[in-house]
Amino acid sequence: MNSADFVLRARQLVKDYRRGRAVDGVDLEIKAGERVGLLGPNGAGKTTTLLMCLGVVRPNGGSVEILGHPMPRGRYAAMERVGFVAGYLPLPERMKVDEYLVMFARLYGLRNPRAVAQHGLERFGVAHLSRAMGTELSSGQKTLIGVVKASLHRPRLMVLDEPTASLDPEVALRVRTGLRELSESDGTALLVTSHNMVEVERLCDRVVFLSAGRVVADGRADEIAQQFGREDLEGVFLHLAEVRDAARDASRDAARDVDRLATEAS
Amino acid sequence: MTELTYTGVPASVLRIAAIATRHAYVLKRSPHRLFDVVMWPVVDTMLFGSIGVFASRSAHGAAQVPLYLLAGIVLWHVVYQAQIALSTGFLEETWSRNLLNLFTTPTREWEYMAGVALFGLVKLAVGVGAVAVIAWTVYSFQITSLGFGLLPVVVLLMAIGMAISLFVIGLVLRFGSGAEALAWGILFGIMPISGVFYPVSALPWLIRPLARILPTTHTFVVGQTLARGEPMPWGELGIALGTTAVLVVLAFGYASWMLRVFRERGYVTRYS
Repeated sequence: MNSADFVLRARQLVKDYRRGRAVDGVDLEIKAGERVGLLGPNGAGKTTTLLMCLGVVRPNGGSVEILGHPMPRGRYAAMERVGFVAGYLPLPERMKVDEYLVMFARLYGLRNPRAVAQHGLERFGVAHLSRAMGTELSSGQKTLIGVVKASLHRPRLMVLDEPTASLDPEVALRVRTGLRELSESDGTALLVTSHNMVEVERLCDRVVFLSAGRVVADGRADEIAQQFGREDLEGVFLHLAEVRDAARDASRDAARDVDRLATEAS
Repeated sequence: MTELTYTGVPASVLRIAAIATRHAYVLKRSPHRLFDVVMWPVVDTMLFGSIGVFASRSAHGAAQVPLYLLAGIVLWHVVYQAQIALSTGFLEETWSRNLLNLFTTPTREWEYMAGVALFGLVKLAVGVGAVAVIAWTVYSFQITSLGFGLLPVVVLLMAIGMAISLFVIGLVLRFGSGAEALAWGILFGIMPISGVFYPVSALPWLIRPLARILPTTHTFVVGQTLARGEPMPWGELGIALGTTAVLVVLAFGYASWMLRVFRERGYVTRYS
């Protein structure tokens, strides 16, 4: 496959924090128009991986290329074709929805920011929120406005960090439907992290499972479930969380044994 | 059965001690708060002490005191408004947790800073304008009486204010919201030793060498000379320009270094 077919290529990403290694040699490739779910228990390294891919956090090792632009050097050029949504980020206070969207349309360098913002709101069925203050919106509405913001410039890749966290199923479905339509109509590739396994199964073509900073599975949802001998992704998720907890307990026991032996020796 | 409370000690004493201890922990683990506790008394003492020394010296003439004070306060607001506009512009993004959204757009750091500075100029014009109008209408002091020499003074003071705000932004990037107090307080640590309201000779002799390396000191000397109706002190203006240039280079270097640390250590997650 030609490298031009990939919107994202991350190789051997490593990130060390003071508390330890958060990401340990992650490889991640996303083709144009592909929808990929990045899953894993808390602390698996999902958000750190996303932030390294976006050039916001600098990796200790490895490389990232977005649409042929090496990161972080090519970040500004790459971001012209990348959108980012995080379910946990609020909309800025003291700004109306349309003002917020126009600001981002300008940051993306779009020519007709007001028309683009209005079109984005209509596309996701939230044009009536145009004059609302960001603080007046429900969680679901904020997420939808976040998706509108990230899609204003028709990105080739949209990165979504827990986009439907704390949303009720009806709103989550609207977000998912909107994202699927966006991906199909514009050929936008999606990279989604989520703790909602059903959502990922329904939205994504491919799933990458992270555990303790490493890729432990990469494939279609049913293939991964089969690989781990589980019924579905939720079973795989619970299994990996158990493995992580067991490893943590074993390491704590080992440390305790070392302390005990040291005490006995002295 | 075990006694659950100390006998003989009123429960209120225990509760008061518990609350006081809780605040002792806060101060112990937030050393920047000592800045508030210690700095203001030091600033007040040095500022009013030096104004008193200046006013009491007959050599300067009592009539010059209001001139120094009024010229000082108007020009001081140029530094203050420039600094506060840029610092709070950036802090607004941290308060509204908008940094990650901005970092994931094609916006370059200098473009962002230029945007904040552009609107900062509007705030500066309003703030300094208000001070200048009051000085004129209430105290008959016209800052424009300094003539065209006022122009380089204002430009230098704006550059100094913006450079100091870059240090504040660097500190916030590195130390998080704990460093925010500096946004409001840092300039007031510099003000008394810069001879804003009096000549440097009114400062305690120990402080004078420190005052002479600050660009603010030399810029205010230029402003005060012009306010007295004397010709432009070109030598002093040259020193002000040179020291300001050094400050600006250091400020850019520090902010860039802290931005690199911010990216390397993943501090952006503090604001997400």
